[in-house]
Parts: sequence; structure tokens; C-alpha cells
Amino acid sequence: MPKTQSRSSLGVIGTIAELVLVAAIAATIVPILWMVALSFQPLKNIIGADINLGFSLSNYTDLLAPGNPLLAQLGNSLMIVVGTVLLCLVFGSLAGYALSQLVIPRMVLLPLLALTAFIPLIPPMVLVPGLYATMSSFGLIGGTLGLVILNTVFQLPFAALLMKVYFDGLPPALREAALIDGASEATAFRSVMLPLVKPGLASVATFTGIMAWNEFLFGLTMTSGGVTAPLTVGIASLVQPFEVAWGQMAAAGTLAAIPIIIITIIANRYIVAGLTAGAVKG
Amino acid sequence: MTATTTLPPLRASGGTATRRGRKSWSKFGLVALTPFALFLLLFGVYPAIELFRMAASEVRVIQGGFQMEFAGLNNFTRILSDPDTLPVLFVTITFIVGAVALTVILGTLLAVMLDRARFMKTVAKRILIWPTVVAPVVVSVIWLLLLSPTIGAINKVLLAAGLPEQGWLGEPVGAMLSIIAVDVWHWTPLVFLLVYTSLQSIDTEVLEAARVDGATEWQTIKMVVLPMVKPVIITATVIRLIMSVKAFDEMFLLTHGGPGNSTNLISLHIRTIFFDRLELGYGSALGVAIILIFALLGGLYVLAKKAVTGRQATNA
Repeated sequence: MPKTQSRSSLGVIGTIAELVLVAAIAATIVPILWMVALSFQPLKNIIGADINLGFSLSNYTDLLAPGNPLLAQLGNSLMIVVGTVLLCLVFGSLAGYALSQLVIPRMVLLPLLALTAFIPLIPPMVLVPGLYATMSSFGLIGGTLGLVILNTVFQLPFAALLMKVYFDGLPPALREAALIDGASEATAFRSVMLPLVKPGLASVATFTGIMAWNEFLFGLTMTSGGVTAPLTVGIASLVQPFEVAWGQMAAAGTLAAIPIIIITIIANRYIVAGLTAGAVKG
Repeated sequence: MTATTTLPPLRASGGTATRRGRKSWSKFGLVALTPFALFLLLFGVYPAIELFRMAASEVRVIQGGFQMEFAGLNNFTRILSDPDTLPVLFVTITFIVGAVALTVILGTLLAVMLDRARFMKTVAKRILIWPTVVAPVVVSVIWLLLLSPTIGAINKVLLAAGLPEQGWLGEPVGAMLSIIAVDVWHWTPLVFLLVYTSLQSIDTEVLEAARVDGATEWQTIKMVVLPMVKPVIITATVIRLIMSVKAFDEMFLLTHGGPGNSTNLISLHIRTIFFDRLELGYGSALGVAIILIFALLGGLYVLAKKAVTGRQATNA
């Protein structure tokens, strides 16, 4: 029985690799766990000089008490996510399908592609003055609808390109067969092609949903805060220069982070697809 | 063959291209692209035009509306004479260089390590991307709870170990190092993921061949693996460059650009000018300047790529 040591033993680099990964996992998890742990601490444990851990739900009950805007902000964030995801799914899959499977005149195609490539490059903050003027002339300042629209504008190029990648994987003969069988273009799209790119739809939905849930800048600049703001802006308002509501801040941060981490665990491959494709395109 | 000749008996909606040939363009395609194009025009192009208009104007806010008066290039010449411009530029570039270099190096390192590991592989692959999906605002919360001079965990640990406490967020250099560290925590996983995805596409036979030829593990990594993922490392660097110019959320909460101007990144600077000082024209001019720099760099990048890859140019 000859021993080939390359496959079975770890080797020096293999051992280093395992150790590096353990360290990286710890560096990832410990800061998050610390926030979660502090969210369950009474204030005296948080501001005390020593590390004392107890258990208290007071931060959460304070946050969710009537009169606190957090519940309204949670609702706003959910509505923004639902609206953005729906718009990105519908318009993104239509656009991705057209770009992938249909013949588009160059006069339309080239400016559209240039815009699609350029918009993700621009720092959103840079456009805020122009967006603010635009939104106020449409009367969309301060509302959830305005935030749905802005989130959609910045996610739609990504959604369309990701859907295009998935539609590119389908043979054009499928659509042609549907048309020959008497289906209209719309039916061929909706009943034949769209059901075949469900993984793409799942990727677009999870990814744009997470981005909309996490969005901060537009919520900050296009609403007046309080009950009109999304959750991220609510969290930021707990951080005042001279008085930080530490416990509530940790609790609100936990409320914002845990759903996303759970979705990441469940829908890992869709998020990985979104992150890699989105990054490559954006 | 491709041109359909049968008229469909049932049509779900109008505007379909029944007489469509391979060369003629599709009506349905144009209809399908319309909402997408409208969004980009109304909320992408139109705001950009407004931005350029404001940049060339003296803008006042009167009863909730904007009053613009043409001011030519005044706002742009002001960028050059503003004493804040140089510090903001310096801070932004320092941050970009530090954050991009560290995330790319650490991300690549993690990817190569994950590729070599066995026991931690599955767990690490799933957990390491968490920082990237968590909201930037939550990332600030997490790090405030660690770095705060008053309640931060790091100070509690230092105190318990009898070491002097830190006040990093309150010191110019410490604050810069802190925001770079936070950015590295936040975005290293993205680089890791990109490089790891590309590592997996390397043919194992190539690695086997290197082993048979007597290469050590380290030589294989250096001479075979890294050169093969070089294109993806370059892509990741470009992506990180773009992202770090956009950086705003985390620093807005962690330092507000302070102390002084020491972490005043360009995005924070524009926000202050626009919303605190209400100098809308000047803020817009700064925005236009950045867009022009991006367009210039983008153009140079495309040209350079064309020069390098010759005929087989870019499609990104």
C-alpha cells in the first residue's frame, strides 16, 4: 500500500490555509455577534467599563414602542423592497429578453447600452443634486414611491444585464418554434422563454431586494426623516453626535442585518450569482 | 426559414412581429425596452442634464423651488480656489489607494487559501460573504460598537489587558485607518468571491502537471495559479476603484468626515455643500467634475484595453 502524501495529508500550505480561514471566519462573525449580543444588554452593561453580559429585551421593546418611528420605517423599507423587486423583475426581464433574443435597431441599442454601462459607474452622491431637482419637479420628494423609483433606476441596468446573460443561454430556436406554432411574441416571451430563466429571476429578486433594503443615501437625502424614512435612515438617526442610543442602535442594526444573513444562507447561490455577475458588469 | 409566415389565430396582445425576418428589427423588442429606456431617460439622463444646468448657475432655494441664474463657469473656477478642494482630494485618494490595495490583496489571498483548504472550505465559502450583503449602515453600527472611544469593545479589551486606550475615531490618522479597516472588512469578501469563482475554472490537470514536474505548492500558486487569475484580479481592482469613489454611507456615520477634514471623502464633501450649506450650484459643479473625470478615465481604460487586446476589444 504505497502512501502518496500529496492527496491525504494537508501539507504546509494546506495547514496555513485552514488556519487563515478560521481567522477570517472569526473576523467576520465576531463583530456581527458582538452587535447582536449588545442588542440584548441593558444600557448599564453597554456603557460599563468591564465586559458584562446579561439578557434584556428592553432595547427592542423601546424600539417597537408606540410613538417610536421604527415600525413605520420597517414598513417603508419593506414597501421599497417589494416595489423595487417587482419593477426590476418586470422591466429587467423584458429588457434583458429584448437585448438577448430580439433584433433591436442600432440607433436605439447603442445609446441604451452606453447608458446602461455608464449609470452604475457614477457615484450616486454626485447625481443627488440633479435627482433632487428632478424628483421635486415630479412631486416625488419624501415618499416611498420616490424611493422605489430611485432604487429601481440604479438597480435596473444590473437586472437587465443579468437577465440578458440568462436569456443568452437559451437557444433562439425555442422562440422561433413558438412563433411557428402560432404564438405571439408576447406569448412566446411569457409562456415559453420566461419560465426557463427562473434562476435568473431568483437572482435578480434576491439581489435587488437586498440592495433596496440596504440603501441609505437616497433615503437620507430624499425624505425628511422620521416616519417617512426607510429603516437604514432610522438607524442612522440613532447615532447623534452627542448622544448615541447605543442599545437601540445595536437592536435596530440586528433587525436590519439578521433577515439579510438568513436570506444569504438560504439563497446562497443566487446571491453569489448576483454578486459576481453584478460586479463584473458594474 | 426564420421568417414566420403563419398568422397566429390567437394573439395575446398587439404589436407583435409576425412578418419579422432575421434582419428586420422587432417591434416587440422596442416595446419591451420602452419601460427600461424611460426609466433611464427620466431618472438618469434628465437628472444629469439638471445637474449640468445647476452647475452652470447660481442656484437659490426660494419657497421650496429652485431659482437659477446663469453663472457660466464660476462654480468650476471656484473648485480651484476653494481651500477644501486639496484636502478632500488628498483624503479621497489616500482612502482609495489604501482600501483598494488591501481588499484586492486580502481577497486574493483568501481565495487562494480557500482553494487549498479542505476542512473549512464549505463553511468559509458561505460565511465569508456576510459582510458584503449587510447594509453599509449596519456595518457602521457594528464598527461603532467596536471602535467607540467610550463604549467600544476594543477599548474594553485594551483596558482589561492593562494597555492604553485608543481614541482612533477622534484622531486624524486613526480615523483614516479606521475607515480603511472598515471598508476592508466590508468589501474584501467581494474580491474573494470574484477571484475564487475564477480559480474554480482552472483545469485541475494543469495543477497536476505542475506537481508532476516537481513544483512545490508555493511555486504552483505563484507561477501557475496567480498568472491564470490575473485578468480577474484586474477586473476586481477596477470594480473596487469605482466602488471606493462611491463610498459614503459608512463614513457618514463613523466620522462625518472628521475630525476636521481628515476623513472628508468627496461624497461626504458634496453632501455637506449641498444639504448643509445649500450651495446647490457649487455642489453640482463638483458632481459634474467627477463625472467628467470618470468619462475621461473610462475612455482611457477602453483605449488602453483596445491597445492591449488589439482587435478583440471590450464588450463590457
